[in-house]
Amino acid sequence: MSKEYPVIGLSKPRIDGREKVTGAAKYCGDLKLPNMLYGKLLGSPHAHARILSIDTSEALKIPGVKAVITAKDVPSLKYGISPARWDENVLCIEKALFVGDKVAAVACVDQETCYKALKAIKVEYEVLKPVLDYRTAWDDDMPQLHAEYAKNINTEIHQEFGDVEQAFKEAYYVQTDVFVGARTYQCPIEPHSALCIWKDDKLTVYSSTQSVHYFQHYIAREFGLRMGDVRVIAPYVGGGFGGKLEPTGLEFCGSVLSKITGRPVRMFYDRQEMFQHNRGRHQGTYKITNGVDKDGKILGVHVEFQTDGGAYTSLGIASAYYAGALLPLTYEFDNYKFDMYRMYTNLPACGAHRGHGAPQPKYAFESSLDNLAKAIGMDPLELRLRNARRPNTVTPNAFAVNSCEMKACLERVGEASDWKNKKKPGGMPKGRGIGLSTGSFVTGAGYPIYRTDLPHASCMIRVMEDGTSATLYSGSVDIGQGSSTILCQMAAEGMGYRYENMKIVCSDTETCPLDFGAYASRQTLMSGWAAKEAGEGIKKQIIDMASVMMNLPPDDLDCVKGIIFSKSRPKVQSLTFEEVARKLFVLRGPLISKGVYTPPRLGGTFKGAPVGTSPAYSFCVQAAEVQVDEETGVIDIIQCWDCHDVGQVINPTLLHGQVHGALFMGLGETIWEQVQFDQNGKIINGNLGGYMLPTTLDMPPINSMLVDSYEPAGPWGVKEVGEGATNPTIGAFRNAIVDALGVSVNQLPITYERVWRALKEKREAEQTQGK
Amino acid sequence: MYLPDFEYYAPDSVQEACKLKAEFGPRAMFFSGGTDIMHKMKIGTLAPEILISLKNLEALKKIEYVPGKGVVIGARATHNDLVNSEILHKKYMSVSEAAHQMAANQVRNIGTVGGNLINAVPSADLPPILMALDASVKLVGTKGERVIPLEELFTGVCKTCCCDDEILTEIIIPDQKMTGSTYIKFGLRRSGALAVAGVAVAVEVDKDVIKDARIVLGAVYITPKRAIESEKFLIGEKISDELLAEAGKISCTECKPISDMRGSAEYRQNLVEVLTKRALRKAIDKGHV
Repeated sequence: MSKEYPVIGLSKPRIDGREKVTGAAKYCGDLKLPNMLYGKLLGSPHAHARILSIDTSEALKIPGVKAVITAKDVPSLKYGISPARWDENVLCIEKALFVGDKVAAVACVDQETCYKALKAIKVEYEVLKPVLDYRTAWDDDMPQLHAEYAKNINTEIHQEFGDVEQAFKEAYYVQTDVFVGARTYQCPIEPHSALCIWKDDKLTVYSSTQSVHYFQHYIAREFGLRMGDVRVIAPYVGGGFGGKLEPTGLEFCGSVLSKITGRPVRMFYDRQEMFQHNRGRHQGTYKITNGVDKDGKILGVHVEFQTDGGAYTSLGIASAYYAGALLPLTYEFDNYKFDMYRMYTNLPACGAHRGHGAPQPKYAFESSLDNLAKAIGMDPLELRLRNARRPNTVTPNAFAVNSCEMKACLERVGEASDWKNKKKPGGMPKGRGIGLSTGSFVTGAGYPIYRTDLPHASCMIRVMEDGTSATLYSGSVDIGQGSSTILCQMAAEGMGYRYENMKIVCSDTETCPLDFGAYASRQTLMSGWAAKEAGEGIKKQIIDMASVMMNLPPDDLDCVKGIIFSKSRPKVQSLTFEEVARKLFVLRGPLISKGVYTPPRLGGTFKGAPVGTSPAYSFCVQAAEVQVDEETGVIDIIQCWDCHDVGQVINPTLLHGQVHGALFMGLGETIWEQVQFDQNGKIINGNLGGYMLPTTLDMPPINSMLVDSYEPAGPWGVKEVGEGATNPTIGAFRNAIVDALGVSVNQLPITYERVWRALKEKREAEQTQGK
Repeated sequence: MYLPDFEYYAPDSVQEACKLKAEFGPRAMFFSGGTDIMHKMKIGTLAPEILISLKNLEALKKIEYVPGKGVVIGARATHNDLVNSEILHKKYMSVSEAAHQMAANQVRNIGTVGGNLINAVPSADLPPILMALDASVKLVGTKGERVIPLEELFTGVCKTCCCDDEILTEIIIPDQKMTGSTYIKFGLRRSGALAVAGVAVAVEVDKDVIKDARIVLGAVYITPKRAIESEKFLIGEKISDELLAEAGKISCTECKPISDMRGSAEYRQNLVEVLTKRALRKAIDKGHV
């Protein structure tokens, strides 16, 4: 990239690579403590049922069963993650609202006994009519899930910026399309678990979580404990993608079971239970109306969405706002209207799934733009170039965009994919298609999930007494994305030190200063600011000490990769970081430093204005080329392209890894993935054989590219890549498939069968017309 | 998920295994690989009181060529044994290739051919190609042994004509007059997918005329299914794209697929038509079995 640094910008090896590859890394589900019990939750077999009675006596008679708890044994305080809608009980009190809703919990000497105990709990249900279709959930004859939410409307949003109606009146062409999404699940490889130790007045919880701080906050709140008496630790975490941000019930029930038995209790989900707990992607129906002028300039956009939230809120309020909030990011238009309903249904709750509420609406928007381009006879790339956002602009919904290389990304992908030639008549073989989409995402949310004035990120660095290593203490959580590696790179860069000598202690509320954790693609920028500040604090102390030792003014000294030298007198003998650090410890005590970050006040003042605010936005373009087998509908992805504006890159290998992973997830959601239910609301494919994730053999070659960019709001100019890379993916693949077919497909997933059917219907329509 | 309690036997001989099975009757199940049984026991759809493991019957692992009889595959051979068998590479590459398309490597390492056949799920990948090559199976019971065409083994979904005390010990692929064979599996992804439909064919081609043909359809009927009418249609005919396309059309009238989460009946019928045509072309062109 534009500027070279000694430590950042280089593909340093992962700090946890060796441990993970050798299997030495321990995840929460691997942990064992002396005297530990195993715990499980009992899920409701019905999608909607009143709980009439629970008889635990038979379960308690089974040898090895140490405790069985129901709603009466746990706090009745409702919890959730979005404070505006705390609607979950630790264990169901009156009603169970989806298949798998937690009804009781057991603690036993081993896992096998847990399953036996669950079978022996007798629950008497009055089965109620379930609400299984979000589109009709507000009908008069539908039962209401939550007494407080009439017509099963969980969240309702109506925002208008500018004057959309007027814009449509002035438009040369107005088009309305409706697109349908699918329910998908994150499928992290590591199942959720929580190891709880409630001893005397202290509660310690090891958990596979994306945020130790939010867990600490919500656990303390639920039990009326002080934050200081709750310690939350995330060991290695095997993927989260948004599904491990909020309490699961495992930690609440595990804590109560530990308190009752006086023993550590490790709770766990199996794969089917993970699917039931869910918190994955909302499915929705997305109606989009665009108006453009003769030159293809977008004048106004009106989106009307309805999504399936499942039985509880989870992070769904934010998902609902995100669905519309991020759409104006990649293109410039002044008039925008966003109407949204998030519905309650008796299905597993949906939440934040990589890209949060945005990827499905973005797929719909980008699909509508391709339909629009076709209707006005304009090349899809050209349409996007004409509307591409420029740097230092403000969206109609009041998001300030600093750096933005949208146009450069479009041009780069256009060149790399040979777009112009392929789009010429005869430019591609029969059955071949190419499509693209833009994307953008927040680099950290501008506001915390619950209202607080706490800083968003903080950390400490302590240098070893002899200067041979330095440890970064950060509340951030590495869930596989590599945050520990890049934060150590950034700390070392700030210190003038070597990455190879860095250690990290992270994701532990007791040893690490607060950080909100891994969500909203925030750690590189926010935790990074703190790491930079802490690193520079160490460097300042080192230079001050060296100044004394070298008898030179501090301004004349610099420290790079652990060598302190004079900037003006190259012949002066340099010092090593180690000798200076040691001297400093001897004379002044521990060499420590801290860093802290709070974002500036961001966004507008209208209702819902905070969702989608961020110090900085990433931008990207993805394109895909596909070949469709017209006889079977099989889609063969020939190759795909991604070009990103992420500001300064900290670790290129990790960055490209994020792009590959995002394309994998987005490709899966385009063609294969869908959580399927029977007519009673029970999941029929809650396992990795039935839920079709793509395999490595299904992955196409990926060309991951970057454009030069610098973001003033980020440390060294950084922006996010983790979630934004999922933002354009479904749209890009969909547009490529539709280009290959020559007929629109408006429903996800675009399975082989749907492709085959679309072609069959097209042929039949042509035959009818021919006659 | 956990395994419920069960009794476990691992006899050292086929005779002993048969005796145990005769003694316990339907309370017991033979266990050979167990990739399906274990899963079903864990989710509670199978609950045998007794498992009789065949793991000690080492002699049944062999894959060999017996002159005058054909290629004999021991029922305990794993799918990967088929994938890696030199004899199969030489004589019946298409069987080895069909085995390679099954499930994932972990399952192919554990699952056995005998288990796959006796399990008798309609979507199994091995039966179509074995039936296309006119394979037979040996069943050994307490009262003696019998050899039957593989085609006759399957009687319904997860049902076979194998008696309670019988063990499937070997699969015999006779010497062929067929000049080409292949199996095309249609799964929803490139690995770890069950067949939505599968078509195996074996053809005997002389110059440009089809002298004999066997077509077997998988995953589109309660059992693997011969497409007899399509076969009859082909025999004696001169090869052309139109001919093979027509054979595909006939094939798809000979199946009776169901709709499930992997695909509709209508889609499966279309797949049978396309796969038949393609498999015939492939088997004709490659010129070896």
